[in-house]
Amino acid sequence: MGENILRAARYPFLPEAREFVSQHIDLSLDSLEKTGSEAVLKRAVERVKDALILKEVRVTPRHESNYVREILSFPIAIILVSTIANEYIRRIYSLGESRGAYKRMLKESDETLLLVGEKLGVRGAMDSNNLIRIRIPTYLNLAYVFHEHRWKLVNRIVDRGYVWVNRTEYARLLQIEINNYVYEKTLETLPVTAVPQSFKESVNTIVETWSKLEAARPGHAASEEKGENPPCVNRILRRMEAGENTSHFERLVIATFMIAKGRDIEEIIELFSKQPDYKYSITKYQVEHLAGLRGGGKRYSVPSCRTILANGLCYPNENCRGVKHPLSYGGKNAGGQYRVS
Amino acid sequence: MLEANIEFLKREFFKYYYENLDQLVPPPPIKNREFGFFLEKGGGMLRHKYFTSLEEFHSFVLNEVPLDVYVSAAKYEDPGNRDMQEKKLISAELFFDIDAEPTVSKSEESAWVCPNCGRYDLGMEDKCPACSSPVERAEIVNENQLNEALKEVKKLVEVLRSDFGIEENHISVFFSGNRGYHVHVDQEEFINITAEGRREIVDYLLIQGFEEKRTVDLLRNRGFYDGDLKGVMGRVYRMVLEAGSCEKHRTSFDKRRILKQINQAIEELKVRIDPVVTIDIHRLMRMPGSINSNSGMVKRRIRLQDLSSFNPLKDAVALGEEETVLRVKAAPRFNLGGKSFGPFKDEEVELPAHAAAYIICKGLGEYVRR
Repeated sequence: MGENILRAARYPFLPEAREFVSQHIDLSLDSLEKTGSEAVLKRAVERVKDALILKEVRVTPRHESNYVREILSFPIAIILVSTIANEYIRRIYSLGESRGAYKRMLKESDETLLLVGEKLGVRGAMDSNNLIRIRIPTYLNLAYVFHEHRWKLVNRIVDRGYVWVNRTEYARLLQIEINNYVYEKTLETLPVTAVPQSFKESVNTIVETWSKLEAARPGHAASEEKGENPPCVNRILRRMEAGENTSHFERLVIATFMIAKGRDIEEIIELFSKQPDYKYSITKYQVEHLAGLRGGGKRYSVPSCRTILANGLCYPNENCRGVKHPLSYGGKNAGGQYRVS
Repeated sequence: MLEANIEFLKREFFKYYYENLDQLVPPPPIKNREFGFFLEKGGGMLRHKYFTSLEEFHSFVLNEVPLDVYVSAAKYEDPGNRDMQEKKLISAELFFDIDAEPTVSKSEESAWVCPNCGRYDLGMEDKCPACSSPVERAEIVNENQLNEALKEVKKLVEVLRSDFGIEENHISVFFSGNRGYHVHVDQEEFINITAEGRREIVDYLLIQGFEEKRTVDLLRNRGFYDGDLKGVMGRVYRMVLEAGSCEKHRTSFDKRRILKQINQAIEELKVRIDPVVTIDIHRLMRMPGSINSNSGMVKRRIRLQDLSSFNPLKDAVALGEEETVLRVKAAPRFNLGGKSFGPFKDEEVELPAHAAAYIICKGLGEYVRR
């Protein structure tokens, strides 16, 4: 049993795990039923449940030693999640897989960490100062999800197309890449008829677990009203509904917009309830603050289209022509000029 | 704008395009680009146009003689789709816009027109003296202002090369044809950066969100650091160090003064790009080699080695020399094609076509005859 196999069991999204799967098992849909032996299926369900409940898929050395089951359980879990076709479950599952992988990566040697990164397409090279150098475009496409100032390119050592990060930061970037990869995989849909009978039971188990967790949450708010909100607002609402981690600015847009539209404070708080870092009391405080119900009593205004654009959140449609402010969307100014340079 | 003015401009534009069609080449591949046109002054933009071949595009230009031509920095699978998401973005060149600051230094270099009562005059006014509505100032950009903008372009090119590692043959600098410069970057790995990533590039260039504290700490503990600090942080660090105010004895370390110097360094080092342009992946940019209807000059490429010798007000003149008679309301003095014209006030003058077009494009005069 080689090191490669153990690594594949620990990081089943790596190309070598895929290779193992395709070499050893015929993963065509016909043979899925045979492949999905009970143990593999059970482990696959466990992966998704771990993600739902703990927000982290755990892989212990005991799991790793049973490497065939471990490696196979990952593509099966993907099939289960994509069959359920629920955006929130997709998000939380990719988060769980990537978070678990992040914790395991931190314990790896430098060599292994860099190897995993390379295989994920996030190539890094260790410099003499123990910092890892990666290409700027690669960095930017991953690091923008972090909101702390230290991740900003302007606060980084940058030279000749490279940016330097430490080991932990590198692993965090890989986590984002893994999250994106797993999420993309769960979007690949299978025809419902092709899913074997034995899988359907597992799907039901997962959906049940999820329903119980959902029931514990306060009821849904009617978030998106078609046509009434500008596309930028709807896009953020969709992201929130799907449990994606939105930026500080995105949350500000939603809160101020909904306040301006005269929505009820509790209703607005509810919109944030699927955020990974959601806390009722903090959200309530912040929304009330923005609404001018706390502090200086100043009600915050909704950012203008220019500001939203400057934050990379403008996705205009035809009705956005001539609109300079989200609140005037759908008003009489529509039909004006486009922006050009 | 008067019919006669439009006819004159279109005639001149046609002549230019007909003779210089080989210079009007959009970034490849043409079938993946969205095009936009202004066909009439003040009319709406014709957007979501696409062409399957260069010939098709050229024949459109020669048939319609647009006043302005725009092309997307982005490549799309379906550029003609009217829905931005449905266009399906493939990638987009990095695009930077640097404009000359519109500071009018002398009153003889400006003129104004009142859109309400039609009054006009030389000089600087904010409000019409007759009806006190806000006036439209004629945007005459002089060499000094363009030189200031060019300094920013040089800073940008240097940062793109030394910090971002972009190769020279992937950086194209253009004079926009009127008030500023455009810089395009088409290096493969950079065209796939998301809008969010581009926001970070903008912040890097404008030095926004900079953690001053880290630089203060480095300056306080200098000696532990060998000074080989790269990127913006290194530049700020060295500039403050060279200003010489953090002397060796640490007891005299004056944090307030250091912070002030850091901010001065930032003011000097930041590259004054228009942030919105770079972040907006779907933006249409003025097409290289096309005429800018705000001036009648051409958006012209400048080779990097020619940045210092390029003279926009001469080298970007596109239209002909044919003497043209026009009736000028009020036009300040301006330089074009190596000659100085004006100031004019309520007179009929005979000017070469390119200078006549300049005045007409600025809305300061009317075409009379050849």
